[in-house]
Amino acid sequence: MVKVIEHKLSREVKAWLKREAAEQKARYKLIVEEQDALSPKRDKWVAEFLERIQTRGFNVHADMRRKIPASEIPKKPRRKFKVVF
Amino acid sequence: MARPHIEPFVDRDVPFKKMTLPGFAKGMQYKMLSLDTDTGAASMTVMFENGFSQPPGMSYTDMEMFIMSGYLESDEKRYTPGTYFWVPPGVSLPALRAPRGCVALMFYNYAEPSFVESDEDHQLAEREHLTIVNAYENMAWTGTNIFPATATGCLVKILRFDQRTQAFTFLYCMTPNFSQDNISYHDCAEEAYHIWGTSWMMQFGNLPTGGYFYRPPYINHGAFACKLGTLALGRTDSQLYNHFHFNPWSTPEENRERAANRILSWKPELYRWIEQHGHNHPHVPHDFEYPNEGDPHAIAHASGVPHDHGDGHDHHHHEEKPKRRKKKVSRKK
Repeated sequence: MVKVIEHKLSREVKAWLKREAAEQKARYKLIVEEQDALSPKRDKWVAEFLERIQTRGFNVHADMRRKIPASEIPKKPRRKFKVVF
Repeated sequence: MARPHIEPFVDRDVPFKKMTLPGFAKGMQYKMLSLDTDTGAASMTVMFENGFSQPPGMSYTDMEMFIMSGYLESDEKRYTPGTYFWVPPGVSLPALRAPRGCVALMFYNYAEPSFVESDEDHQLAEREHLTIVNAYENMAWTGTNIFPATATGCLVKILRFDQRTQAFTFLYCMTPNFSQDNISYHDCAEEAYHIWGTSWMMQFGNLPTGGYFYRPPYINHGAFACKLGTLALGRTDSQLYNHFHFNPWSTPEENRERAANRILSWKPELYRWIEQHGHNHPHVPHDFEYPNEGDPHAIAHASGVPHDHGDGHDHHHHEEKPKRRKKKVSRKK
């Protein structure tokens, strides 16, 4: 199926795309900053999640759960915990 | 870079802007949700002002539109909230008006937003694919029918399904008190907009009404929870499979490698054929959940254990030794 019908981009369209790309870059930067600031809360949520999957269970499929033994719980790596890529 | 990872973004935090691209009628405003900086493909929240009207016309790429509030009307029909359009490139839509204003989501999939006035289809248009449905009035909620599945309380209405890529656009809801204790990632890019309601993900916190994300493949999201219910529109760019796990810290690269390893377990014959092109030298993707499991030949190969290549001769590879550099001998004149 045809995805794009060939056409030329006018100068106005190119300028619009450039402006929008710059704004998106700024928006992305802001998102990364906001998400970095959320780190302490996220660490707490992760600890609670790891606790829940050991007690109530991990959703393997739909409502089917498996209790994860402590030996299977992953260790936090030394690298920075990134959530936005 | 195509589209970056935009998550979370709440469009309520930014004002509408006038649409200034050539061709579009006056009275159209938009908020950019995400943009593919290579192709110009874009996802936007769009507001058609009271009294907006546009002539018949088409776009150069396929366009999806979902009406959230208000309505659009042609001479023959009124398109109310819940109406979803999938308009192939070059297919001409009739003149549309918004007498009392209208707010919609619009997606231009493979090129920048465009509008070309025309009451005829372009010669390359494939009108038979034009889809217009009202998701609120004519469709029933179903389970996700993807295995492994989301927990009970996550329901979908499939608005469009691409047979070739298995990409789909869907309305989804989470019922009050929905929760799911796993982390997911997919092989596809995923995009969603909250029409109403707030849901929570362990990585990103709360996503309220007007919340949006564009998430490239292999990025962790979840656990999930929703207190009061959520109604949202979602899209993928290819087949969605729920790779569930419980390692909060795995990276997209590790997730991708694990996904490849899992295909080796699920479809070993197909995997070998694709990966090895008839020669049994498999690359062994690593599954962080099962570091010591997988194809025995592949493991033997990776770990340098002698093994048979089907020709009766034992065979193994040693790690390549770094080449020694020859010392330069300076010649005295």
